Amino acid sequence: MTPDRFEGLTEAFGSDLDRWPATDRDAARQLAAAEPSVAADALERARRLDLILAEAPSYPPGRDLRERIILAAPAARTRTLAWRWLSGVGLGAGLAAASVAGVAAGLAVAPATVAPARLAGDADPTDEAIALLREPLDPAELS
Amino acid sequence: MTARGADLDDDLVRRAGEGDPAAIRALVTRKLPRLLSLAQRMLGDAAEAEDVAQETFIRAWKAAPRWRPGEARFDTWLHRVALNLCYDRLRRRVPTISEPPDQEDPGPGPDRNLQARDIGRRVDAALQGLPPRQREAIVLCHYQELTNIDAAALMEISVEALESLLSRARRALRSALQDLGADG
Repeated sequence: MTPDRFEGLTEAFGSDLDRWPATDRDAARQLAAAEPSVAADALERARRLDLILAEAPSYPPGRDLRERIILAAPAARTRTLAWRWLSGVGLGAGLAAASVAGVAAGLAVAPATVAPARLAGDADPTDEAIALLREPLDPAELS
Repeated sequence: MTARGADLDDDLVRRAGEGDPAAIRALVTRKLPRLLSLAQRMLGDAAEAEDVAQETFIRAWKAAPRWRPGEARFDTWLHRVALNLCYDRLRRRVPTISEPPDQEDPGPGPDRNLQARDIGRRVDAALQGLPPRQREAIVLCHYQELTNIDAAALMEISVEALESLLSRARRALRSALQDLGADG
């Protein structure tokens, strides 16, 4: 390796020979040993820039970003949805489904009574179904 | 990245593709800081960098079940996806007249009581002042510590062209940061 080539590589890859192309490292070390003053000047100049570049801030990821990414993984998403279903949302949905089933049963048994109630107001159908389930049925209506 | 590191990546990707929660977390722990730094240094914008990092992982999760070890290094693949996303954003930016980063008034000495944080901001500004390809070269080789061969392959240029970009980048940085003692 020539001194010019050594300086060129220093200019490109900096003062740390371990960051140089693997194919040039041995020759660079040999030149540094053979012509220490040439190498030292070039390396010192590069080292000053390297020290300043090392002051660039680091950007550690925040917890929110990390969790968003983990939740975006298919397996994690499936698991989270399953947990939500079991722990609340799913329970609510299950209750609503049971309510709807109850309404359906009520419609089958007493359509004349229940159907007008469903059409009467603007209430949420699920809330309405739950309310209907809570009302005791009048045995006379079943006859 | 060492061969052992690449093997560990392959194992984690395989397990992540199978839905192993521990592997998913390990992969995020292992790769997110590098990806976020890459995007931040390429874009100079924290929110955009987070978006790029997140989108890169979303693509990784999709690719993981089909990942074939040995065809490419996962770390290199992640870098390629992230860089493409960075360039998409850089292309969409409204062009502005680029100004060289502010230089501090030369004071009594190279350190001049500047706090490390201030120096860090100056370095960031100097990096953002580079043309994108020079910035990419210095970010990949200096900060991401990729080999010249990996960085050149990612940038789809020869190692000689990479070396030229690096030399120009370092000259520009030395000039921009000379008041901090970078010029020697």
